[in-house]
Amino acid sequence: MNPIIEVKNFTKKYGNFTAVNDISFNVEEGSIFAFLGPNGAGKSTTINTLCTIFEKTSGTLLIDGKDVTKQKSDVRSTIGVVFQDSTLDTKMTIEENLKMHCVFYNIHKKEVEERIQFVLKLVDLLEERKKLVGALSGGMKRRVEIARGLIHYPKVLFLDEPTTGLDPQTRAHIWEYIIKLQKERNITIFLTTHYMEEAEICGKIAIMDGGVIVAHDTPYALKKKYTKDKAYITTKNEEELEKLLLQFELDYTKKDGYYKVEAENLEGLLKVLSEHKENITNLEIKKGTFNDVFLEITGKKIREEA
Amino acid sequence: MNTVIALWVRGLKAFVRNKTGLVFSLIFPLFFVYVFGAIFKNDVIDNPIAYMLSGVIITTVFESSLNLASTTVDDMVSGFMKEVLVSPAKRVAVAMGQLLSAATVATLQGILILIIGLFIGIRFRHWSTPIYVLVSMIAIGLVFSGVGLFMATKVRNGQTFQIVKTAVTMPLTFLSGAYIPLSMLPETLRYLAYINPMTYATAFFRMITLEKTNLSTADLVKEEVAISINGFIVTPVMSFIIILIIGLMFLLLSTISFVHTDFSRLNRSASDASAIWG
Repeated sequence: MNPIIEVKNFTKKYGNFTAVNDISFNVEEGSIFAFLGPNGAGKSTTINTLCTIFEKTSGTLLIDGKDVTKQKSDVRSTIGVVFQDSTLDTKMTIEENLKMHCVFYNIHKKEVEERIQFVLKLVDLLEERKKLVGALSGGMKRRVEIARGLIHYPKVLFLDEPTTGLDPQTRAHIWEYIIKLQKERNITIFLTTHYMEEAEICGKIAIMDGGVIVAHDTPYALKKKYTKDKAYITTKNEEELEKLLLQFELDYTKKDGYYKVEAENLEGLLKVLSEHKENITNLEIKKGTFNDVFLEITGKKIREEA
Repeated sequence: MNTVIALWVRGLKAFVRNKTGLVFSLIFPLFFVYVFGAIFKNDVIDNPIAYMLSGVIITTVFESSLNLASTTVDDMVSGFMKEVLVSPAKRVAVAMGQLLSAATVATLQGILILIIGLFIGIRFRHWSTPIYVLVSMIAIGLVFSGVGLFMATKVRNGQTFQIVKTAVTMPLTFLSGAYIPLSMLPETLRYLAYINPMTYATAFFRMITLEKTNLSTADLVKEEVAISINGFIVTPVMSFIIILIIGLMFLLLSTISFVHTDFSRLNRSASDASAIWG
């Protein structure tokens, strides 16, 4: 697969403060790429530089082979951007917002109507096209923005926290649109999110902290590396269970009447369970979540900021 | 070019859709005409209503075009400017579109009051007067749109901006001779009026509207359409040139400033309005 976004040794400094420190990564064409990290990790700086808004201090950033600081106009035509805060013109209708966007992106007049139909159908807003944006709900506005971000057929779509502040149903819908897009039009999607379960849908994930990329892999690989499955056991005979756990060298903590056992040594755990099966009153095995991955890697910072 | 037209249309649409704003933009000027017209009834001015109307029309054009500062700031806060920023649209074209739409809206508002004025006191004797009036309204609208846009690009705080705007607009309006003849001002304020560009816009516009083109210089001064600064007479034509120079300066300054303004500096988290552009 070809990389559509190439970042090499990118550094951004504000005076003496280094926001992003010598990061490098590639994003494959047609993939969904998630950028995670606590606030102030350098995510926004990186995205804003990729979107041609910020200037870099050093390094190379290419989108579709074009330099984001030297060929701004070319890059701008190649990308679609949906910012975290709305950038719609609230005094105008959905249709007028889209038309204005087409003017900015130099889309031929003959194609405009067809494209409006296409993108509005994609986000289920065809019926509402004459409505004023100011009168729409938060979820609808976000859908309008996604539609607008797509109308010039970008190769890369940047989504900065596309589902923040939306209800679970709308979030699920937005994700449907995103996945549909990626599949049907082979658009590369570069997004940031705070919802860890959303990050798992993505093909690749980069986690940033303190201006550097601390982890970069598939969600599965990250989970395998940073989380452990856990068994939650309640028993009639606590003494015997503790003895068995010690015997098979399994780490555990006792809390509220149940035992939380690290399931890293699966063989040992199975032996404990089979020898203790008459006494077990309840057993639950929990897979590690992406939240665990995130906390494992950046935990301290997130707690401080929250 | 398409960008310019699209933004121009956008400005006009916003003007037409804001019905409440439109009504109030007419009520205030006419209220001023009524109050000040009554005050000056027994004074030297022969037709106080027409005199006041001409001042009020140009003040409306002035305030409306200066309002481009507010609408541009609104566009920054609402995020629309950010959308413009990441698009391939030329920033010069965006600036031009904004300037033209503001000047057009200002002219339209001026025309609305002028039409009402035609029923309550203004009479045109020459067929060419309406054309001159229109041209001067457009010109003065453009000049102060430039000033407005320039102000907007310098804004760093959305809340203090409204106060600054009022603090700038009010004295410029009241020390321009539009409502109160300069001869009635105390001396210190009169000197302030001399450095106020609106003074010259008002004088020139009043001469056109009241058709005082054929008067002698002395009469022009007496009618307050020429300005005498310690014996130095600024004729209406000179006034117009002064306005043009100031206008060109600000149109250029505002366009350059707009192209170079780093809108990304504006942190627009809606929850913390005071921190916007801090």
